[in-house]
Amino acid sequence: MSIGIEHFLTVGALLFCLGLLVALSKRNAIGVLMGVEMMLNAVNLTLITFSRFSTSERPITGQVFVVFVITVAAAEAAVALALAVSVYRNRDTVDVDRINLLKS
Amino acid sequence: MLLLESAPHVPTIAEGILWAILASPIVAWALIVLYVRKLPKIAGWLTVAGVGTACALSFVTLFNVIDASGGIAIHTHEWFTAGNLTVHFGVRVDGLTAVMLVVVTSVSLLVQVYSHGYMAGDPGYGRYFAHMCLFTTSMLGLVLADNLFMMFMFWELVGLSSYLLIGFWFHKPSAAAAAKKAFIVTRVGDLGLLAGMLLIWSKTGTFQVDEIQKIASEGLVAHWVVTWFALGIFAGAAGKSAQFPLHVWLPDAMEGPTPVSALIHAATMVAAGVYLVARFFPVFEASGDARLVVAWIGGITALIAATIALVQTDFKRVLAYSTISQLGYMMLALGAFGYVAAIFHLFTHAFFKALLFLGSGSVNHATNTFDMRKMGGLRKQMPVTYWTFVIGSLSLAGIFPLAGFWSKDEILLAAWRESRGLWIIGFSVAFMTAAYMFRAIFLTFHGTYKGGEPVDHHDPDNHFHGDPAHPHESPWVMAGPLAVLAVPAIAAGWFNINGAFGDFILHALPETTEKGSEFAWGIAISSTLVALAGIFVAYAVYIREWVTSKTIREGFAPLAMVFERKYFLDNLYEDFFVRTVLQRGWNRLLELNDKYVVDGIVNGSASLAGSVSRRAGVVQNGQFQTYGLGFAAGVIVVVVAVFAAHPL
Repeated sequence: MSIGIEHFLTVGALLFCLGLLVALSKRNAIGVLMGVEMMLNAVNLTLITFSRFSTSERPITGQVFVVFVITVAAAEAAVALALAVSVYRNRDTVDVDRINLLKS
Repeated sequence: MLLLESAPHVPTIAEGILWAILASPIVAWALIVLYVRKLPKIAGWLTVAGVGTACALSFVTLFNVIDASGGIAIHTHEWFTAGNLTVHFGVRVDGLTAVMLVVVTSVSLLVQVYSHGYMAGDPGYGRYFAHMCLFTTSMLGLVLADNLFMMFMFWELVGLSSYLLIGFWFHKPSAAAAAKKAFIVTRVGDLGLLAGMLLIWSKTGTFQVDEIQKIASEGLVAHWVVTWFALGIFAGAAGKSAQFPLHVWLPDAMEGPTPVSALIHAATMVAAGVYLVARFFPVFEASGDARLVVAWIGGITALIAATIALVQTDFKRVLAYSTISQLGYMMLALGAFGYVAAIFHLFTHAFFKALLFLGSGSVNHATNTFDMRKMGGLRKQMPVTYWTFVIGSLSLAGIFPLAGFWSKDEILLAAWRESRGLWIIGFSVAFMTAAYMFRAIFLTFHGTYKGGEPVDHHDPDNHFHGDPAHPHESPWVMAGPLAVLAVPAIAAGWFNINGAFGDFILHALPETTEKGSEFAWGIAISSTLVALAGIFVAYAVYIREWVTSKTIREGFAPLAMVFERKYFLDNLYEDFFVRTVLQRGWNRLLELNDKYVVDGIVNGSASLAGSVSRRAGVVQNGQFQTYGLGFAAGVIVVVVAVFAAHPL
């Protein structure tokens, strides 16, 4: 059995679903962030896959896009972690169920 | 005006003159309302100038139409078109219009002059003359209009201005109520008119009077359409012309100033209904049933009003019921093919009834009351008023050779030809007319003076100047119009001795079966005798007192009560229709509908929205993860749906 595009895409999809599950179900804000990162990486994997198997003239586009996503994800992780630290300092918790100041 | 030998042809009168007749009072109205409402003297003379111009031009028109032997001129312009409805704005002049123009403007002019004396010192002087101008304009518009649509507009304006004038002293609750009553009761009739208009328009697609006349008389629409249209017209006419059962507003309308009563409720506005029926006379002719309805309603009205007039104690109300009775006469005549008789009576009646009303105002000016029980013996102090009033009464009673004799005679002749029942009604009304008019004269001007109504100086609404204990003749602005009106009250009947007036206005109709009426000795002598008998009865009871009115009253107690209570019609309308049917029945129903159905829907939808949002609000828990879950679920649903629709 040769490893084809389906396998890469399946892994990407599974990874995305796991990330989504984590992001939606974890109580800990750090865990939620990890889930989000996981989804981003799943998307990256999918992009790379399409780039690799593409017959287009310039398949490099997908890879360039991934580099951008990684960059943005790094910035996002930095900001989000800073937020988490800040929230923890103020409220002594990073439990997302209790971070609901905006609700009424 | 008596020579109409050549065949009728189109009058040459310039269209501008006809429009100027309509415009001159409305210009006076606009000037008064905009600039001189606070300057009473100017307002008064401006009105006289406006109406005087219209009057002069009306005479010009009349003579021109006479030159044309009563031909018809129609100047019409398209006003607007909406869908397949085309409305015209135009004037029509023929014998009928010319006669009406002269009647309206000349009576109006005299009334305006008289008002200078009667209304002197009233704080609403300027407003009074503005309303009078508006009224005159509406009436002129009504008679000049060449189509039903325009007629209806002016018809409603007549209603509005009469409302304003009846309620002129609106601070008096009785006047305000009378104005409201007049407006609402005539509105009932106007509903019929509107329905008739819509019917004829939907069936023929035109509002033009000449076209409607033609279509009806040539039978180009179904007979039921003609009949219902005619009945609709008559419903409107019955409202304005105070025909049974819509006559109840007119006696109450005496709450307005007396010159208003003279102008509106005697001479012109109430004639509007008669005019309208006369204008559509070919339609009534084409529909025999509607014509008979007109005749019998007219007869019933004449009889009812005359009997009520016999027992009134208020001077002006005697005249009011007399007016209703005479309008009933005119309708009776129209219904009995007496088109000429009706218009001729309208013509003569306008003069002598305006004279009588102005005379009653003059008496009021001297005594501060209209209650005949507080008057008496005024003939010495008020000779002009007395003699003109006697002339007016003799004319109304139909004594040879005064105006009323000629026109009443023609009506009785028409009634005789149509049916004996109608003639008997007309004949007995002639007797009662003479009796109640001379009862009023004897109570007011003969016997000893009973002091009038003392002036209540504490009443801020009372602007009475003078001393009721010592009555005096009215100033010349009031006595003058009385003297002037006495002339046509005597002579207006002579125009039709040789049938000239009849020929003249008959040409206003396209084709008619009626021929000019001839003189019938039997009718003339019998009606004169019966009128003299009426005068004699009044003389016997109120001067000689061979039989006192009290004895008669006791002898016919139940009948007298029915008359005094006005056949219980006011009770029927106010207690039964308004209080029971409307207030307790219909209004209660509407109240319940409001309370439970309308409020129920409003409150129900509010509480439904509340409970839905309370339940739906649960999902908005502020947890982004919940939202995210919803988002993800939505995406999955969309994806599944897309794949289901387009399988790979």
